[in-house]
Amino acid sequence: MSEAALIGLFVATVQFGTLVFLAALGELIAERAGVLNLGVEGMMAMGAVSGFMVGLETGSPWAAFFAAAAVGALVGGLHALVSVVLGADQVVSGLALTIGGLGLAAYVGRNVVGERPETLFTDLGIAGLADIPWIGEIFFDQPPVVYLTVLLGLAVWFVLARTRLGLAVRAAGESAPTTDTAGHSVMALRSGAVMVGGAFAGAAGSFLSLYMAPGWVEGMVAGRGWIAVALVIFGAWRPGRLALGALLFGFTLALQPRLQSFDIELLGVEVNRISPALLGILPFVLTVAVLVIISWRYRHRPSPAPAALGLPYRREER
Amino acid sequence: MIRPVLARRERVLPAVQAFAFLVGIVAALALGLILLWTSGHNPAEVYERMFDSAFMGTDSLSRTLERATPLALTGLSVAVAGSMGLWNIGAEGQMMAGAIVATGVAMMADGLSGPLLIALMIVAGIAGGMVLMLGPALARSHLRVSEIITTLMLVYVAIRVVEWLETGPWKDPDSFGFAVIEPVPEQAALPGLFGRANIGMLIALGLLIVFWLAVSRTAWGYELRLAGSSPDTARYAGVSLRRKILTALLLSGGIAGLAGAVQLTGSAARLDSGLSNGYGFAGIIVAALALMRPSGVAVVAFVFGAVQVGGQSIQTLGVSSAISDILQGMILFGALVAAVLFNYRIRWIGPAVESSGDEPEEPEEPEPAEDAA
Amino acid sequence: MASSDADHAVWLRGIEKRFPGVIACAGADLRVRPGTIHALLGENGAGKTTMVNVLAGVYRPDGGEVWVNGERRFFQSPADAIAAGVGMVYQEFRLVPTLTVAENIVLGSAPRLLRSAEIEERVAELSAAYGMAADPTRPVWQLSMGERQRVEILKALWRNASVLVMDEPTAVLTPGEAAELGAALRAMADDGRSIIYISHKLDQVVAFCDEATVLRQGKTVATVDDLQDVDLTSLAEMMVGSTEGGYVERPPAMEAGPEVLSLQGVSALNDRGLPALTDINMTVHSHEIVGIVGVSGNGQKELAEVINGLRRPTQGQVKVKQQDVTDASPGDRYLLGLAYVPEDRLGVGLAPKMSVVDNSIVRSYRLQRRGLMLVMAKCVEFCQGLVERFGVRTGRLNDPIAGLSGGNLQRLLLGRELAEQPAVLVAAQPTRGLDVQGVAAIQSHLVAQRAEGVGVLLISEDLDELLALSDRLLVMYEGRVVSELAPDVTPRSVIGEAMAGQVRA
Repeated sequence: MSEAALIGLFVATVQFGTLVFLAALGELIAERAGVLNLGVEGMMAMGAVSGFMVGLETGSPWAAFFAAAAVGALVGGLHALVSVVLGADQVVSGLALTIGGLGLAAYVGRNVVGERPETLFTDLGIAGLADIPWIGEIFFDQPPVVYLTVLLGLAVWFVLARTRLGLAVRAAGESAPTTDTAGHSVMALRSGAVMVGGAFAGAAGSFLSLYMAPGWVEGMVAGRGWIAVALVIFGAWRPGRLALGALLFGFTLALQPRLQSFDIELLGVEVNRISPALLGILPFVLTVAVLVIISWRYRHRPSPAPAALGLPYRREER
Repeated sequence: MIRPVLARRERVLPAVQAFAFLVGIVAALALGLILLWTSGHNPAEVYERMFDSAFMGTDSLSRTLERATPLALTGLSVAVAGSMGLWNIGAEGQMMAGAIVATGVAMMADGLSGPLLIALMIVAGIAGGMVLMLGPALARSHLRVSEIITTLMLVYVAIRVVEWLETGPWKDPDSFGFAVIEPVPEQAALPGLFGRANIGMLIALGLLIVFWLAVSRTAWGYELRLAGSSPDTARYAGVSLRRKILTALLLSGGIAGLAGAVQLTGSAARLDSGLSNGYGFAGIIVAALALMRPSGVAVVAFVFGAVQVGGQSIQTLGVSSAISDILQGMILFGALVAAVLFNYRIRWIGPAVESSGDEPEEPEEPEPAEDAA
Repeated sequence: MASSDADHAVWLRGIEKRFPGVIACAGADLRVRPGTIHALLGENGAGKTTMVNVLAGVYRPDGGEVWVNGERRFFQSPADAIAAGVGMVYQEFRLVPTLTVAENIVLGSAPRLLRSAEIEERVAELSAAYGMAADPTRPVWQLSMGERQRVEILKALWRNASVLVMDEPTAVLTPGEAAELGAALRAMADDGRSIIYISHKLDQVVAFCDEATVLRQGKTVATVDDLQDVDLTSLAEMMVGSTEGGYVERPPAMEAGPEVLSLQGVSALNDRGLPALTDINMTVHSHEIVGIVGVSGNGQKELAEVINGLRRPTQGQVKVKQQDVTDASPGDRYLLGLAYVPEDRLGVGLAPKMSVVDNSIVRSYRLQRRGLMLVMAKCVEFCQGLVERFGVRTGRLNDPIAGLSGGNLQRLLLGRELAEQPAVLVAAQPTRGLDVQGVAAIQSHLVAQRAEGVGVLLISEDLDELLALSDRLLVMYEGRVVSELAPDVTPRSVIGEAMAGQVRA
């Protein structure tokens, strides 16, 4: 295996990690406020297609990125309306978002399949640092979205842990009546969290269509939204552990298309003779395994999940 | 300031849900109308074509029924888990797993007579679905791992396995280099009924009836309902929750696997990665709209079958078939909103009593108090 | 605004509030002077909780006026009420278990940026000022009930509430803790704050409070300007309308029969994996009511669950009619003659969304089978039998049971448990939250079962009920049976000390 291939693997690890981290961070915000949103896959698809189309139209990757975030927030708003304001089942509403979102994205994007915008995100060689061997290329010569995502991660951690708003969001996810009687609007907190989460997912989708796999094809999100949902559990609803998990999953996602070029033997099997289809199983099997291991570890302890996750709240109910 | 609040009614009535479903269809068609119109199509023409191709004439109807069959089966699969309060999001994958194992059986036993082979393949399909569900079911029953994520993740696993089989081990040697699996033996085709409808439809219908009877009329079904509705009460009644969760999920997986075998022997002729065709995911919508009731599953599956057949037919008008996915998602959203609105009265409330002057008014004669206990 | 109105901290005037099918308040009044402790009295369902929820901005009244500190208020949300100086301590605490004491206290009125050390210091100062010790850095789930209540009060003081509402504050306290609470409330009243105190415990009301308002069926039926002028009996009369309907007559003594339930060296863990029961030994005989006394949370719930097979003991044996049932399922224990009325009626005893018929066969559906099938006609017949025998008032038998009132739920539940003539009945909090007739009906059923030879284990927080019904009292403290007392000869002060873990040799 060449050095360049290895560096390429780690560069891609950071990028795939960024992709799932950004989406998972959005889901983490919603879940900390007590709302399960299974629509990440659909929101990402909508973000991917709308970001790509705005990119085609304007030629500005940033306009595309923020447009995708706005579309994601809008689609998330639909989930907020149905499940938070109207109190419908969060699982059903989220699934409807995924199925409907995938369909709508396919329909909206049917005419731009195969096109490529002229300007896309370019790698941001950070002066001085990008030239360090290995480290420089892996960490300091990435597209700006990677650094923005790191900042967003820090911001989410700070807001949740160190501000009044974050305290209120956490409380809404643990006990809605308590938060309500303390004088915060649970509906506003939760709806806001779901929409911000949607914006993150939409933005993640556009990172996919503008940088990682420039272009739009139906099904390009390919289950990454679901991995983001699982990552939140993996990260025990904490941004720091979420980042670690994202790198781990990023690694498996990056490994899959590259493993064939690796001339190594594992357990008597030549890795590059394994079918890429079988290697594609890796992140999904890993997710299941990790969920099982985490539940095993928490089997005698209270789950780290927000206590009110998935429970609708309405004040004047009796 | 006057603003609305929602006051919940006592109970979700099936009739209310049926009406909500209708509202969902209307809302979805309305949204589709806007989409079609803004993208330069003639909505009336498109909808007419959809309707004709789904309902007019036995051939059209048979196509709708052909599509409704896997939808009813996957819908039932999701409903079996749903009546325990569990979500099988992975029927899509279990369907594939069922088809894989059924194909394997067909390859090994292709000398058998038709009925015997079909029966074997169906049993194999059930087993395949159960095998894929085994991990999530055990993890849910013994470790409380959310079945939502685990069942879904295995969808991608099953699809990738089919892709691997296509390119490698089961690649058809007579396919001139194309990566396809050889077709199932001819005698393994499910007998047809009329047009494109086949016996699979009767299997689905029969299973729906069996499930309805089992849930509403047997001690087993009573335990299932009790465990799904109030787990602590079920424990108190001496029902083993673990065993109930395990059986409900395995049954759910088995039925989805059966859907795969039926699809393979009924319509698909050979296993490929498109065999499940989104039926498993649509089955979730079907079951949710049906409130996990078998009768509802039959009705919704039929309507969705029609929407899908219609969605296919309008491609000749240059309209993307993605319209049918949007319509399905929108029906669910519309019905969700409608069901909530029908189940909750909206009350307009304002400040308690507007006072006309500085002096507080005398309160009116209070109404007789009811027994508030 | 008339000048005479200035002399109140709270004036709820002609409050009306309807819920679907229920009129909770029908023009009730409540007027509280500044710097006083005001008792709000009434039976369950009289409208007390609704009244204070209107004051706290949780419910919007359908009619009437809310005045706080001389100003007419239109609360749209709890936030409005908090801003107006109303602090509410709910019966079921409104605390977030995973957050720390300090975080809970500042929730809703925190500074924009949280500096933990600074907030914790200020919280510590506040708790020192009112003599209410609470470690600000501890997560709330680690605290005892009494400590949680202190956090709730501190929460209100943090927002500088001028009106403090306490809903059943002493239900979770030992007699000693209750006395401490009384002193703290008095200190706050002397500070110029007003306190609205809801309680059923009339002796405490008289000891702690200055004035009182009595509600009955959603209306104010009496006000007392000075509680020193009235005695307990007349207060009780005001609440129920007459002195009838108190506790049932103490049953005549009976010769205890053979042993029907016994626990030998039973230990068990709670949901968190911590010891909940330690080396419990007890027996219940036929023709006997054994009362379990204790402040809630001292292992009563776990005791009932271990006896009924809903919780595995880590050690020891449970025997029903001399048979070891330690490993038997709850269903098998029932068939052996062990009946159970759980503390959580809806959710454990009954499945809220299922029909009345489905709920009535929870214990006996295995007996209504023919082959695989359930015989529906037999189930309905069985249910009708229960409804008639136990006087359950219900709508259609196929409607969800959640629509029934508390008393009727409990009648059906008790009836179902007694249907197969059990040898033992474990009744946990069987009368909690019921109205007077409901309490009387349930209590007389318990006494009747005792007369028929059933051994009853009665777990209750209501000391009066236990004293009235029990043949023997067992006091539980921190998961142990700390003493056995005879109800008719033991002074209350001794029982109180035992409940607080102070056992005299």
